[in-house]
Amino acid sequence: MSLGANSGTYLDQFPDEAKLIRATFYSSFAALFVGALMGLLQVLHRVDMLRLIPSEDYYSYLTLHAVLLVLTFTIFFLVGVFTWGVTTSLDRGLEDLRYTWTWYGLMAGGSLLAGITIIGGFFDAIPLSAAVLYTFYAPLQAHPLFYIGLALFIVGSWFAGIDWFRSWWAWKRENPDERIPLPTFMALTTTLFWIISSLGVAISVVVFLIPWSLGFIDQVNALLTRTLFWFFGHAVVYFWLMPAYMLWYVMLPKISGGKLFSDPLARVVFVLFLILSTPTGIHHQYLDPGIAEGFKFIVMVNTMFLLLPSLLTAFTVVASMEHGARQRGGTGYFGWLRALPWRDPVFTGMALAGLMFAAAGFSGMINAGMNINYLVHNTWWVVGHFHLTVGTAVALTFMATTYWFLPQLTGKKIWNKSLGLAQVLLWFIGMTFMSNAMHRAGLAGIPRRTAEPQYSGFDFQPAAGSVAELNMQVVIGGTLLFVSTVLFIAIVVMTIRGSKVDTLPANGYAETLSGPEDAPLVLDNLRLWAGIAIALVVLAYALPLASIISRGGLFGPGGSPSPQFVDTVVFAGQAILDSLAGVVR
Amino acid sequence: MRISRGGLLVVIAVMVPIVIELRTVFVHLGVDMSIAETGLLAAVMIGALLAWAIAPDIRGRKRSNEGSE
Repeated sequence: MSLGANSGTYLDQFPDEAKLIRATFYSSFAALFVGALMGLLQVLHRVDMLRLIPSEDYYSYLTLHAVLLVLTFTIFFLVGVFTWGVTTSLDRGLEDLRYTWTWYGLMAGGSLLAGITIIGGFFDAIPLSAAVLYTFYAPLQAHPLFYIGLALFIVGSWFAGIDWFRSWWAWKRENPDERIPLPTFMALTTTLFWIISSLGVAISVVVFLIPWSLGFIDQVNALLTRTLFWFFGHAVVYFWLMPAYMLWYVMLPKISGGKLFSDPLARVVFVLFLILSTPTGIHHQYLDPGIAEGFKFIVMVNTMFLLLPSLLTAFTVVASMEHGARQRGGTGYFGWLRALPWRDPVFTGMALAGLMFAAAGFSGMINAGMNINYLVHNTWWVVGHFHLTVGTAVALTFMATTYWFLPQLTGKKIWNKSLGLAQVLLWFIGMTFMSNAMHRAGLAGIPRRTAEPQYSGFDFQPAAGSVAELNMQVVIGGTLLFVSTVLFIAIVVMTIRGSKVDTLPANGYAETLSGPEDAPLVLDNLRLWAGIAIALVVLAYALPLASIISRGGLFGPGGSPSPQFVDTVVFAGQAILDSLAGVVR
Repeated sequence: MRISRGGLLVVIAVMVPIVIELRTVFVHLGVDMSIAETGLLAAVMIGALLAWAIAPDIRGRKRSNEGSE
């Protein structure tokens, strides 16, 4: 028996929550399909094979691709996964479903607003545009609805996190002496660093970018809004990754046929991500002038520390898989690998996602190293890197586990599991072709974020092969990835259209070899870890932000120290106070 | 077969990055391989794998896919 498994599927246990998770998953898959299509179109455009739009509009492709995949697809899926994890492990439904549907509505509404605004950029007749890329750096400016949509989406995700906390608080009142169940612990620690980190982008959007796009203020301090973006921008990577980690910890051992090697180690990993994921964002700004090298060095050290939880995860997950394989009769130093359930797309997808993540870790170390980063900064290398992290470790894990979740949420059998296996393998092969070529192109200095990467009178010199070969490799990879996405969507649709069956496995997650009773109590002290996380953020960001503001002002060099309407409000307030003082006297 | 069809598919998939990365490694060792040569290398590797998978196990070991799934 697995933990959390009372009886029946998740749909039997929590029908209302299953409906909500289905909605989040379907929203996620819709974004995946459109985002993947944009990915294929931009690859074909960039290598000049198929150009449906002029190059001036290329950023609209890129923005739609990025926003739909790295925000909408991932976050809609992960709120569903965490809702599953919290309800299953606490064995209780959510506290107030009206509240739950409210955060879903905020996220869906926000996505639609942002998406429609970006799509508007393709049509001259529609006065909307948001070709500002996923990072929306000023002075690129989007229509206000884009920023408002993003703000609603992020607020919705905060409310989701609060929803999980409400469940835990209610459970804790009834079980005061119990340890926090592992999936809930993972959801709560992730929520904490997500709220801390996304405060940066929330301030950037609400205080600066929305008033700027509405014309209330003339300009913004580009370095300040950029730094606030990266305050959130690296932690969001872990927001995508943590649910994938959770699935590797609580699902992969179960699918492998064994138990999680160590619950305490898993808790340590999530605590480390809580305290370290935010004070690292400036490593995306190594080449930004205006931030002193010393601050960048501190951030590089913090970033390198983040390798520790990833290495701990690699150890724990592989140890758990080995335990499972040996339970299934596997023997030998490496012979146990053959006993794993490779025919199961849920297992194979997750295992290959983990393998690709190891490669991503190596290229990530290059990005994080301050001096080596200069070599690859803003090149295709970086794009190759994050297609291995969010594009494979996260996306492939999410797609693979869909083949486990979908029957749990619908009561229906997966339409064709063999096709599912082909789908995850196709993703793995496609990403191998694409990310390998992108990394190599980056080493040759080929830039990212441009529709026209070639320069007249200059040829890039790759270490191996030619630029044409690299482009061909990217096209092959991108095409395979799109085919894989179409297969995935087809399997999902056909499964939903199928009939309910009674032979599905019960809901649950992996038991542990070393359980929570072996973990020090202090690991469950969320206040302590959140406090340390905030202290580290203050240490990493207080001086750089103070320096940026003192040199460039809140609203940029040459701008008014405060927007005109603020001056007016302050003047009016002062006048009222003076009048009142006069009356009192 | 010495390996399940699903397992065989996974091993072939895992060979793709190996072949692609090998080409770059060979360049650094002074061996330039064209795309056709790389494709040939991949075909030979996959062919060898298929031959191994289909050939009878003359050592009389247990079928490797027993116990998987």
